[in-house]
Amino acid sequence: MHFLAYIVRQTGKNLRQTWGTQVMTLLTVTLSVLLFAFFFLIYNNMLRASARLGDDLRLIVYLDQEIPEQNRPEIEKKIHEFGPVEKIVFVSRAEAFSRLRAQLDKEKDVLNDLGPDFLPPSIEVYPLKNLHDLTKISQFSDFLLTLPHAAKVQSGSDWLRRFGDFTNLLQVVVLLSGVLLIISMTFIISYTLRLTVVSRQGELEILRLLGATSAYIRLPLLLEGMLQGFLGSSLGLGALYFLYQWTTSRFSGPGFLNLFDFAFFPPELTAAILLAGVALCTGGSLFSIRRFISI
Amino acid sequence: MPRDASTDKPLVELVNVTKIYPPDIVALEDVSLRIYKGEIFFLTGMSGAGKTTLIKLICRLETPTRGLIEVAGRDISRISPAGIQRMRQKIGIAYQEFRLLEKQTVLQNIAMAMEVTYASTKAIHARVDELLALLNLSDKRDKRTGELSRGEQQRVALARAAANGPSLLLADEPTGNLDPAATELVINLFRHLNEKNGSTIVVATHDKSIYAETEHRVMDLHNGHLSAHPNRAPRQIELFEA
Ligand SMILES: Nc1ncnc2c1ncn2[C@@H]1O[C@H](COP(=O)(O)OP(=O)(O)O)[C@@H](O)[C@H]1O
Ligand SMILES: [Mg+2]
Repeated sequence: MHFLAYIVRQTGKNLRQTWGTQVMTLLTVTLSVLLFAFFFLIYNNMLRASARLGDDLRLIVYLDQEIPEQNRPEIEKKIHEFGPVEKIVFVSRAEAFSRLRAQLDKEKDVLNDLGPDFLPPSIEVYPLKNLHDLTKISQFSDFLLTLPHAAKVQSGSDWLRRFGDFTNLLQVVVLLSGVLLIISMTFIISYTLRLTVVSRQGELEILRLLGATSAYIRLPLLLEGMLQGFLGSSLGLGALYFLYQWTTSRFSGPGFLNLFDFAFFPPELTAAILLAGVALCTGGSLFSIRRFISI
Repeated sequence: MPRDASTDKPLVELVNVTKIYPPDIVALEDVSLRIYKGEIFFLTGMSGAGKTTLIKLICRLETPTRGLIEVAGRDISRISPAGIQRMRQKIGIAYQEFRLLEKQTVLQNIAMAMEVTYASTKAIHARVDELLALLNLSDKRDKRTGELSRGEQQRVALARAAANGPSLLLADEPTGNLDPAATELVINLFRHLNEKNGSTIVVATHDKSIYAETEHRVMDLHNGHLSAHPNRAPRQIELFEA
């Protein structure tokens, strides 16, 4: 009981003695977390968006003539041999026409003049979900083009590829900012701790002479690191949430953000980032305490 | 209260201890010494004789070049760092150079010694007030030690050493800066600790006035060699003959 009270009081004393540096540290931790969480949030939303887009991803092979019923199993076999697919649907001219009619519903009169033959027949190929890798999709569509009577393959892959490239780039940015976060946090924590130790050199020496245990001396410093990690991460995440709220309220209505259904981190992820911040700062303290304090 | 040396176990024992500071300064040579529990022991000698070195060896601020040192029956060279810290909580040391934090108050300086043992704030305040009253420093309690005179600082250092009611008090030149009246207060503090608390007290000093009249054991260091004090030798012999 007394033990804890002492540790907490000593921590408070430390913080007061070096408050200027402590504020700088807190700011650095906050900004690092904010920067990382910002990129991570965007990346996270891109991932979600591409997963959703992948859900209705299908490859449509337009044909220049109908494939007779008896030839279909052979083509299906060929496709299956190339890669795993969920299903393959053959669409005849007539089926395509009636689908379109159903879609147009009230304005189906427009079609009267065109006649049932104006749409090309096609094969719809639904790849398995695990084919999200975009290079594989484009390989797949190249292959489909080699099927007999294939005229054109539509996959929307150009757009998807650009989207995917951006997501990949963002992944690199997230990783970089994560590394930056780790470096800046451990550096600043270690730097602050060194300042604390230097400013309390005389006191630490006397404490050693008076028989202070290593827990008495080290725990307050460790607690200080933990506190910095917790406050800094909370502030960084809080700032990001504020930014998110502000942005979404400003750009509400149809637009880019709505297209992606832009969302904040789920609570578990928020907690995980917070914990990671605390762990990093505590780890940094632990490391520096070992380096700078011999008791 | 002098103890019967033959029956008690010594609290501190030095066996053939030699301390050589680099490169080749011999501070203590082949010193053997037993200090018994409850004893008040005077260690005398001129400046440079090795008194401070001996005190530092006992609390392991220095390590001997050769020889064995036991405190409470344990070879202190084999005690873990954590064990040494626990041991220091029970040994009060008043350093020759005081080692106070000048920017902190008298209260804070003395409190530190008790805080490391996780004493309650109430107990700390009570004890500090008691010690300051004994040393006639009550009005200085909230002054920074840097603002005090040498004599006052010296007494603060002693109060800090006495704060935990230590089993062993090591006082290095405790009266070096004191007038006779203050010296009397310090002697009374030692007596108080010794009688009320059973503390063993080791006083390193070259101040004849504090050991001239004493009935306690006095030993003399000279160039790192320990011997019975010249003025005391006859009495010591008498003691053994009796
Ligand atoms: N840290 C040290 N390094 C080198 N020599 C020292 C050191 N401390 C003390 N000495 C030397 O050891 C001898 C004994 O010193 P000390 O124990 O301080 O004597 P006293 O306390 O009796 O004056 C002296 O010659 C002193 O110069
Ligand atoms: Mg000395």
